[in-house]
Amino acid sequence: MVDRIERLTNLLALLLETSRPLSLIEIAGDLHGQYPENERSRRASFERDKAALRDIGVPIETEIVVGGPYSGQTTYRIDRRAYELADLDLAPDEMRALQVAVAAVRSDSGQHAIWKLGGALGDERPAVSAVIPERPELPAIRSAVASRAPIEFGYRGEARKLDPWGLLLRGGFWYVIGHDHGRGERRTFRVDRFDPGGDHGADTVRIGAAASFERPPSFDPRTAFPADPKQIGQGAEESVDALVRIAALRSGAVERELGSDRIVERGADGSVLVSVPAGNLPAFRSWVLGLLDHAMVESPPEVRQHLVDWLAGIVDTGAGQR
Amino acid sequence: MSGPRNAEDRLRRLLVMLPWLMEVGEVPLSEVAHRFNLSEQQVQSDLELVAMCGLPPFVDEMVDVFVDDGMVFVGIPRLFTRPLRLTAPEAFSLLTSARAAMELPGADAGGALGRGLAKLAAVLADAGIDTDMHVDDTAGVVVDLARPELTDELVEAASSGTELAIGYYSPARDEITRRTIEPRHVFADSGNWYVLADDDRSTELRTFRVDRIESVEATGRSFVADAATPPPRFFDDPEVQRVTLRLAPAARWVIDQYPIDEVVELDDGWAEARLPVSGERWLAKLLIRLGPDAELADPVGDNPALAIARRLLDRYDAPALRSLS
Repeated sequence: MVDRIERLTNLLALLLETSRPLSLIEIAGDLHGQYPENERSRRASFERDKAALRDIGVPIETEIVVGGPYSGQTTYRIDRRAYELADLDLAPDEMRALQVAVAAVRSDSGQHAIWKLGGALGDERPAVSAVIPERPELPAIRSAVASRAPIEFGYRGEARKLDPWGLLLRGGFWYVIGHDHGRGERRTFRVDRFDPGGDHGADTVRIGAAASFERPPSFDPRTAFPADPKQIGQGAEESVDALVRIAALRSGAVERELGSDRIVERGADGSVLVSVPAGNLPAFRSWVLGLLDHAMVESPPEVRQHLVDWLAGIVDTGAGQR
Repeated sequence: MSGPRNAEDRLRRLLVMLPWLMEVGEVPLSEVAHRFNLSEQQVQSDLELVAMCGLPPFVDEMVDVFVDDGMVFVGIPRLFTRPLRLTAPEAFSLLTSARAAMELPGADAGGALGRGLAKLAAVLADAGIDTDMHVDDTAGVVVDLARPELTDELVEAASSGTELAIGYYSPARDEITRRTIEPRHVFADSGNWYVLADDDRSTELRTFRVDRIESVEATGRSFVADAATPPPRFFDDPEVQRVTLRLAPAARWVIDQYPIDEVVELDDGWAEARLPVSGERWLAKLLIRLGPDAELADPVGDNPALAIARRLLDRYDAPALRSLS
């Protein structure tokens, strides 16, 4: 019996070069002595090889013969046009830019892609890089976005069906944004929070038929939700600005975050008084408390009172527990 | 690459190696090994194996490649002259890498990367992998690596080897320290930007969060720039302390915002989440923001937010409530 890799390579060459689809009996005959004689183990070996080739991305087509003495038999071939990577015609500087991009993200599948394009990751050691979280579901979701196919998945134990409009990586997490069939409106989901599917996470996402929906023409995933948590849920009609005193130690960081136009007054001690949107009270409170002792709300009184009540609630609960 | 390689991995590698070899015709074995992350021994045995492959009746239609005296030679390129199309994960990875690179400091959208990305998008559509990632079309996949202003200056210093004096806010000690650093590498991870640098205070390679750097000034001294590889992800560190929080529906954003080990759904919309914490002070800050919407379930003990809440209340001048403690 030949080495498995030898048989796989021969099978690949045969299916690529054949002018018509071949049945397993013909394949085994051509690759004489490489598949077992026994019919059942021959079929099992062949199925394993076929799965291995498909696993590395080889598009094997199957066809059932209709009519004639071999009617009902399954035949196999590889469409050369589907197999081969089209020529990208990359200029050397473009190839190099893609190599640097992949080196800066350090992904294994990206490296394979570069090899296929005829490049290689040399000794690029970019001074700047990014860690892009990988999820097994992402390639399929991206294909669904591109082909306008709905996706189905579980989220917090609930079955969801979504027309995916786009994928967004923000704050270190991947989000998919689209039209939720069940809710009848736009929703955003974190991809790593999808409920796990059956075996080893396969089937986490099921992809529906292509060309099933139209995406809103001007949709941009960036605008799906605000990057600044303080803006989330803020209604334009009731914007309240609060004045917050920031101690010298954190004043520089706060000024960089909010912009200099938010500074109302600079204290002699290095502190600053800033005007901060407080329309969304929970988000505002979270931001102020994140600065601990270095931020004090000065006005308006009701916002200041809200902070005091909140802190009193913590003291109250904590004291009650003990 | 180390350890035993299975047949799929070897074939996958061969299918990228063969088209390239047929293009170059003749090349040192060592160069092939270096290019494809293999040992020379591995390349030699794989090529010897594949040279026995071809089309039936296995006489003249064979993969014509051989290794002799440290050189790889290709005879008549016949089979496997073109690389296999990109798989969906490879396409996703390449496109995402290029998108991410466009977000990095110094990226030039109209430059080589932008042009390469446009060609890639066009060809992937032809190859049956649909893509709508035209350069002028942000729909589809967007990578947002928004960075603090100082990031570009740090990248510049890492590339040129410029020593910097920085003011760095340390949340653990709640103070700003003065340090002299040699920036080696700047990277984005889990929503934050970091600079990896040699640090005069700790005299070792340290990671600083860019948004905590208060000021940057060149010292006038320089060093030999040699970009270091960034460290692996922080939160994968099993040494980092873990806590379990019970979260009310209003506090669910914690699950979306931080790396979480495990979530258990409880009755009435509450959830129990186990997550890594980077320090006592960080946890206290989180708990004070969550207030009554969260309970510390493990470790059991005093709520570290309590002391801070009392202190802040004092400052807001609401002493009446202190009687409760």
